[in-house]
Amino acid sequence: MDTDLAGFAIKHLQGKGASYVEARMESHEGSGFVLKNGNPEVSGFDESSGIGIRFILNGNMGFATTNKLSKNEIRDVVERALRLTRSGSKIGENISFSDSKEVNDKFKVVQKQNILNVDPSEKLKIIKDVDKLVKTDSKYISLSDNIIRKFYVNSEGVNVYSEIPRVGMFYFLNLSQNGKGVQRWLQHGGVGGYECIKSWDLDEELLREIKELKRNMKEGVKANGVMDVVCAPEITGIAVHEAAGHPYEADRIAGREAAQAGESFIKESMVGERIGSDCVTVVDDPSLEGSYGFYKFDDEGVKGKRKVMIENGKIKEFMHDRSTSRQMGVMSNGAARACNYNMEPLVRMSNTFMLPGKYSEEELVEGVKKGVYIKSFMEWNIDDKRFNQKYTGSEAYLIENGQITKPVKNAVLEITTPKLYQSIDAVGDNLQLFAGNCGKGDPIQGIPVLMGGPSIRLRKVRVI
Amino acid sequence: MIDKIKDMLLKGGADDVVVTRVESENTQVKFVNNKIVNNTVDSSNIVDVFVAKNGRLGSTTIKDVSEKSVKKAIDSLMSFIGKMERNKDYRGIAKGPFKYSPIEESYDKRVEDLDTADLVAKGVNVSLDEGAKRVSGIMETSCSDVSLVSSNGVDVSDKKSSIYYSVRALVDDDSSGHMNSCSCVLDKLDVEGASKKAGGIASLSKNPVEGKEGKYDVVFSPLAFTSILNFIGEAASSFSVESGMSFLDKGIGKKFGNFTLVDDGRLANGFGSLKFDEEGRPTQTTKVIEDGVLKTYLHNTSSASRYNVEPTGNAGLIYPRVTNNVLSGEKGNVFDVKDGLYITNVWYTRFQNYASGEFSTIPRDGIFLIKNGEIGQSVKNIRVSDNMLEVMKNIVLMGKEKVHMKSWEAEDSCLLSDVLVKNVNISKPSEDDT
Repeated sequence: MDTDLAGFAIKHLQGKGASYVEARMESHEGSGFVLKNGNPEVSGFDESSGIGIRFILNGNMGFATTNKLSKNEIRDVVERALRLTRSGSKIGENISFSDSKEVNDKFKVVQKQNILNVDPSEKLKIIKDVDKLVKTDSKYISLSDNIIRKFYVNSEGVNVYSEIPRVGMFYFLNLSQNGKGVQRWLQHGGVGGYECIKSWDLDEELLREIKELKRNMKEGVKANGVMDVVCAPEITGIAVHEAAGHPYEADRIAGREAAQAGESFIKESMVGERIGSDCVTVVDDPSLEGSYGFYKFDDEGVKGKRKVMIENGKIKEFMHDRSTSRQMGVMSNGAARACNYNMEPLVRMSNTFMLPGKYSEEELVEGVKKGVYIKSFMEWNIDDKRFNQKYTGSEAYLIENGQITKPVKNAVLEITTPKLYQSIDAVGDNLQLFAGNCGKGDPIQGIPVLMGGPSIRLRKVRVI
Repeated sequence: MIDKIKDMLLKGGADDVVVTRVESENTQVKFVNNKIVNNTVDSSNIVDVFVAKNGRLGSTTIKDVSEKSVKKAIDSLMSFIGKMERNKDYRGIAKGPFKYSPIEESYDKRVEDLDTADLVAKGVNVSLDEGAKRVSGIMETSCSDVSLVSSNGVDVSDKKSSIYYSVRALVDDDSSGHMNSCSCVLDKLDVEGASKKAGGIASLSKNPVEGKEGKYDVVFSPLAFTSILNFIGEAASSFSVESGMSFLDKGIGKKFGNFTLVDDGRLANGFGSLKFDEEGRPTQTTKVIEDGVLKTYLHNTSSASRYNVEPTGNAGLIYPRVTNNVLSGEKGNVFDVKDGLYITNVWYTRFQNYASGEFSTIPRDGIFLIKNGEIGQSVKNIRVSDNMLEVMKNIVLMGKEKVHMKSWEAEDSCLLSDVLVKNVNISKPSEDDT
């Protein structure tokens, strides 16, 4: 990576009158493998690199990006971005950033089993071994890895180099029996080398899942009505991500994503208001070592830190970049992320989870006379204000007199965000995190995240 | 240069080679609350390589086209596929050379130097004049040169331009409207029309009441139905069928409704139009569903061979892709509904089961009750929770005017009108929750 090009871009733009300039050079190196019904599809490896240069000129924001890494090409794209920005200034927003600290940092995540040293045939074998376990009508299994090397420098004294390796796996299963069918997908991911995979216990997980999904197809009953619901960590995780993560992104609150990922029913003035019961505390924390959403500094050069969005049921804090923090009169808490050099940083989650409580999952279930236990989900969605959401169970069971009994088919929780968080009366001690790729922005940017929490118990909610 | 890469790979022992170069110049202006907040210019040059040897398949992207880097990438790729296993379903790539004819309204040089800020400023003002208080969105331009060579005699290139304008107008937290205008040529971009529509929907949707669950006859606007049509188009890809991700599986010859869906890779002014697919085969106009009957899946060379049919010009080297979804059917006054709903936009479409078709999607922006043919009270907090097979079966009428459409979540280009679907299941959170 020729980091001098970043310095060249900054100097060139400062010479054109830019009051602020940042340059982010990235190189991505990785490989990907796919098995469709056990058959290896096109596998490949990629190396890509480029530079993204963001600047403020007379208060207006411009962004120039290219993968043609020469001074001439960079000068050319920057000049065109300057022209566009000058033209846009006719109705340009006056952009300003909250203060930042000078930083000079280099960090590299240590890999025990380096991605670049694992032979492609071994990588293919990993998913072939998974495939052998899975006897389903059709299936799709993929494995991917990459190392992102990033050099970030800005005109305010920030200079950060990072090297973050990631490994991810995804599987999709399609099962049918006597005209009935179920489907299931799940993603795993971690930061580090191929040692990540051992922690996923894929063999045990898949065999158990398939057995229970088959049982659900054969014996599943419907559950309807107002009842108590115990959500396992996978459901807590998606609910926290969708309804306690996204609505607390300050750019949504400020309306910056209105035409794409939407806005938020949470408003700046609501800090301190009650949104859930006392036992609900939700955080976002990029600093967890080995986590899929890990980073040390965000893509504006601000150190990532734990954010507490909901504390004991009350709205506490939003996720910010340097622009939204300025708007709301606080400091950035380091939530600006971009998925590649050619994308603008947006306010994003990292690892979002509900903090665990003191009850075992068994105790949560024991406290339910009639209800449903939802362990995993397939279909879910939420409106663009993050108010009205739906989670449809993939694996779920009836709870009768404190005991898990029959499997339940497609238990649907369709609920508002305040009702969801206010209905929680007890939180388990079994924290578990799940990987995902969160989408936001236009063009859409997929960002690796974790989401999770412990099991939670909801009192008197409607199950469809 | 790409020809040289192909020759080097063949010399290295490859059986089949496809090399594609895409040179793109893109801009994006993002506007929020009536002001432009970012002005982006992106310039890129990407070379993608596909190789098959003894049925083993591999791909890579070459970032640096210097002789030394190309040689290193080729050596690495040949070594890489040597470590893969044979794909028993692979049947080769398209055998050229082919003849290609130009596609109408595919490239407009004026897009290269378009002053998008001026257009955005005009668009914002039109939405404000319609009663909006805040207007947000993006305007993107793209100009690309795409070249492809293959080991089977293909050597072809095409130029493509596009302009995408997406505008959301908001009156308050509960009242908004959204509309897009998509065009490959400047003369057919309708910034004013899209802005007027978005602002008009926003104004009309003021003071919404809680929606009620139940079965409704629903008029979906083109923007709303584009999301649903994207899933129908993708379900027709043979890759989706073979992966268990298609509700059209085992459906050839069966009747799914009373509409016609054409995959048109040569559609004039179509965002998904290009002279050739990813194997270099000429794109074509394919009737996927004709008068409700599923005629074919979308195929590349390998999948067509497995199904014993002709390729449809939809390669995807990994999976056959939609080009442009063109939807047609009986035309009429779709709003001639006694008790119904008008849904102007949806998002977050997700499936419980892709094979059986159960899904839900969430209306956003203006949602209106229709009473005796008149658009009336706006509603909120509802969800379409239904089955894709039922939705297809219940498509009964289409509006008279078709528009080109794609959206933030539905990236496959569509040409469609308003669509009336009978008996759509609407769900919502309990009244006590809201």
